[in-house]
Amino acid sequence: MSNPEGALSGVRIIDLTDERGIYGAKLLADLGADVVRPEPPTGDPLRSRGPRLATAPEDQQSLWFAFFASSRRFFTLDLSTAEGNNQLQSLIERASIVLTCKGAFGVNEAKLDEALEKRPELIVIDVTSFGNEGPWANYVSSDLVDGALGGAAATTGDADTAPLKFFGELNYMTSGAYTAIAALSALHHTRSTGEGQRVGVPVQQCIASCLEHVLMFYSYNEQFASTDGPILPRRGSLHWSNAYQVMQAKGGSIMITPTPNIEAQLTWLIEEDAFEDLLDPKYMEPENVQLLIQRIMEVLTTWAGEQDVEALFLAAQERHSPYGWVLPIEKVAENPQLAFREWWQDYKIGAETIKGPGAPYHLSENPWQLQHHGHLDDNTDDILKEIGWTNARGNQS
Amino acid sequence: MSRPLDGIRILDFTHVLAGPFATRILGDMGADVVKVNSIDRATGVNLATHPYFLQFNRNKRSLALDMAQEASRSLSRKLCDEADIVINNFSVGVLKRWGIDFDTVAETNAGVIYAEMSGMGDTGPWSKFVTYAPTIHALSGLTHLTGVPGREDIGLGFSYNDHQAGLHAVVAILAALEARNRTGKGQRIDMSQFEVGVNFSGPSLLDWFANGNAARPTGNKLPYDHAAPHNCYKCADTIDDSIENERWIAIACMDENQWQAFKNVMGNPDWANSPQFNSAAERVNASDELDQAISAWTLDLEAAEVMEQCQRAGVPAGIVQNGVDLVEKDPQLAAYDFFQPMEGEHPEYGTMTGDRLPLYFSATPCDDYPRTRELGEDNAAVLTDWLQMSPEEYRVHDESGLLK
Repeated sequence: MSNPEGALSGVRIIDLTDERGIYGAKLLADLGADVVRPEPPTGDPLRSRGPRLATAPEDQQSLWFAFFASSRRFFTLDLSTAEGNNQLQSLIERASIVLTCKGAFGVNEAKLDEALEKRPELIVIDVTSFGNEGPWANYVSSDLVDGALGGAAATTGDADTAPLKFFGELNYMTSGAYTAIAALSALHHTRSTGEGQRVGVPVQQCIASCLEHVLMFYSYNEQFASTDGPILPRRGSLHWSNAYQVMQAKGGSIMITPTPNIEAQLTWLIEEDAFEDLLDPKYMEPENVQLLIQRIMEVLTTWAGEQDVEALFLAAQERHSPYGWVLPIEKVAENPQLAFREWWQDYKIGAETIKGPGAPYHLSENPWQLQHHGHLDDNTDDILKEIGWTNARGNQS
Repeated sequence: MSRPLDGIRILDFTHVLAGPFATRILGDMGADVVKVNSIDRATGVNLATHPYFLQFNRNKRSLALDMAQEASRSLSRKLCDEADIVINNFSVGVLKRWGIDFDTVAETNAGVIYAEMSGMGDTGPWSKFVTYAPTIHALSGLTHLTGVPGREDIGLGFSYNDHQAGLHAVVAILAALEARNRTGKGQRIDMSQFEVGVNFSGPSLLDWFANGNAARPTGNKLPYDHAAPHNCYKCADTIDDSIENERWIAIACMDENQWQAFKNVMGNPDWANSPQFNSAAERVNASDELDQAISAWTLDLEAAEVMEQCQRAGVPAGIVQNGVDLVEKDPQLAAYDFFQPMEGEHPEYGTMTGDRLPLYFSATPCDDYPRTRELGEDNAAVLTDWLQMSPEEYRVHDESGLLK
């Protein structure tokens, strides 16, 4: 199902991923690669993930799967038979890239070391939770547990909540993005030299590499007045700089910050006659910057409570202040910016066409394109023919 | 030893986090990243001595250019001609004002890959909006969804979307490189950090459009599937009531086998065999009671002990690790030298440490991590390498006050 206009047109990928890497396979598939996802005859277990579309055929009901397994060709393989194993080998023989997650369907049977010996140009991506070496190499995990051990949960939540997981699968979307990067950078090297390779992608490290201020506070905490030590505790929406926080306005919540131009924010508060004691000269002393930020956030909290949330958001952006209206999903769905950019795409699921997320980037020469989301076995005959098998589950030609 | 992107030249006009994180990854993988900054205009986290800047700008060379001067803009134009990739995350229109927008650059560099990482994309009624990661989190639904039921003032605890915008920019750039390898032609990438953020709620958005179900925060519960226990539990090694001294363990039983194994780890207590906990669906329904009982068990044990016992039984469990845990205590990250000293002494900070690229290439290992450079530290080297400037030409440029 390679999109001939896609940036990755002609790149053949075998997708042996689970939740930890499937987003990476999606990114590559939506960019035009021909991504074949083998699954057992009983169907990929990920086809049972919610939310669901009850009116679709049973194997297409998972909206989770429709999103994460977009633009793939699906191929059922019975790996309990020699035939199924041979078909997997035939698939790999034609691939540029094989994406794997440790323990996922087909990975143990794929004989990838042998494949690399036969075809040195092959690229194999090995996604693991913790890597293949070290004391935790065989630890089992989940998005919640990887987020905890990777450092993401410790800083998310509030003083009166437990540490929190991000909604959905955001930790695994980080490892997924790294999976795509590993594949494409290795592909560039192959194009330059003819040399393939394996690339290890430990999920925990992917998460730990994306923690913004956490490691900065560890290394440079003495430079920040907002903490007593190398750990910044979880504290709701209050940013590490103390200058961004979600506040309550009339009709909803809004993320408010006086940055990047505190003077402009002060001017606005003066215009609104809401500046309280902020003109006290003590706040203008360079050594009192944190005091000023603390006080201005207090004043903004009071002031915001009297404003209509949408009007406040739009007025702030008019003044180039990066306020953000806290939108629930149904408001995101009707966002005028996304509508103007015709961002939403049609997902064809069973007999239905459902609106859903579009491209995370736009390439001027090679448009991102979502491919039809098919049945479990839709592509099996075509793929069998491509790899030299005459017909479905038939004989090798 | 070679790295995967050896030979790729990147002219980097990025700032703050999303853009610098993208070019840090590309630099870690061997690209020659030349980061352009104005010494006089750098403020806040863009100051070369700010820890934020130090953290996200290793593996790059620094060129100082005063873009307020026409001669500097002309110089930047010549540099664009030598670049494989030009990247910026300024608001829409800044590089056009400098005369180095895509159309202009592509006139003389047809192979250029030109990546723009604006907040909202280059068109639309919100295209001029100013955004940072907390803005994007709020507008994209991420703030609303991450939290506990009934609250919308928690959200993600750090600038997740900045990192992800950086990662997605790298994906798009590498895809464009593959296309250029095939066609010889460059192209422009318009990336809206907002669209990246909205994309993360894909299944929930499909659920809204298909079924009219509006997702709401669920704490540590899975929003759509049955898995229980699935939460963080306080442990005995909590030192005091301050949040930074709490110890928590995350436990996730993703299937029935893991639940049975977990019951064994806990010593098969009577409460765990109560009918209300028979199936995953029932445990989710009774999750308050379940979590309370598990908390009573973990409060007598240290987090590391719970993790070890659970993992030995095949139950996903992990300590909720903070920055100190990651750097000083985590044996797995230590086994990989995940935190390592950057090469070279920084004039102000001496030897700096940082986290390495979490990708392990067998043929092209990415093990070089030179420290973040001071602004303008590589002026002479860059202009010599990229523009073949002679020492005399360089001296003239330097003395003219452009290179600052």
